[in-house]
Amino acid sequence: MVLTHSTSHTYSHPFPTVTLAFFLRYCSPRLNPFATHVLSTDTISSHVDPKTNRLHTTRLHLKKSRMPAAVYKLLPASVTGGGTSGEKVAYVLETSVVDIKEGWMRSESKNLNFSAVLSVTEQQEFLVPTDNASLETNVNTSLVFRSRIGEKIRGKIGQAQSEGWLYGLASGLGARGIGRSIESLASTKTKDQLGKSRDGMRHVLERIRNTGVIDILEAIRRERQLGKA
Amino acid sequence: MSASLAPECNDVKERYDTCFLKWYSEKYLRGAEKNSQECAGLFAEYQKCLKVALKDRGIDKLLDEAREDNKENDVRLLSPKNN
Repeated sequence: MVLTHSTSHTYSHPFPTVTLAFFLRYCSPRLNPFATHVLSTDTISSHVDPKTNRLHTTRLHLKKSRMPAAVYKLLPASVTGGGTSGEKVAYVLETSVVDIKEGWMRSESKNLNFSAVLSVTEQQEFLVPTDNASLETNVNTSLVFRSRIGEKIRGKIGQAQSEGWLYGLASGLGARGIGRSIESLASTKTKDQLGKSRDGMRHVLERIRNTGVIDILEAIRRERQLGKA
Repeated sequence: MSASLAPECNDVKERYDTCFLKWYSEKYLRGAEKNSQECAGLFAEYQKCLKVALKDRGIDKLLDEAREDNKENDVRLLSPKNN
């Protein structure tokens, strides 16, 4: 049970700027008003490979869950941990590699928790176009949705049916059907979010173009100082 | 700068982020420097704080599991450019 979705896009900004925007995109709600669902961002590791000069970075983002409420309604509390979808926080691990000399960046993001219910993996590749001097950057994005809920709860179904929560649902869908529904509900929602994520990147890119990164850092620092006062 | 998941690490995280972004935009992107040693001290301080927070929240275990999966991922990220 796997669903995939691929898309391509071209930013009208040079490759180095796009990679900078990638690292800056969750910096502040003022810099990126499309990322208010991002609660925190931490760097877990960061190093330049001395042989290849590639920058390897791992970051952990906490995001308000984008999993649709309908998915939670399909699942028993024993699987979701209880509560409503609004209370959920997803841990997202992002790994990236930049090769500035060869002109590419690749990243992969995936959720660490709830991965038995639904694992969403986003892979992105940023490239300098071969036919262009360097004013544009191509990005290929692929999303893979995988729900293992069918396998996980098949064993529980008998018990669940006797307890009644799965009554009607199980007869109509079965465990495999539940898995498929989760994938398709989540993919519809996440595809909507892709547009937002692109808008966010464009917003950050415009700011870099207009004011430069040092001014952005200074503005964020002032914003934080105000927040503390 | 976006917050750290652990509020007690916010200050050092912010100093590290600022250092990293300056190094990235002014040096790495211009091919001027091979390593981000100038931020290494701040990074070590930041990780010392963060490691405790990850452990307290049980996130270190989730990261270990993901690291196993990432072995495959590395192969893809590091494979030669194929287009």
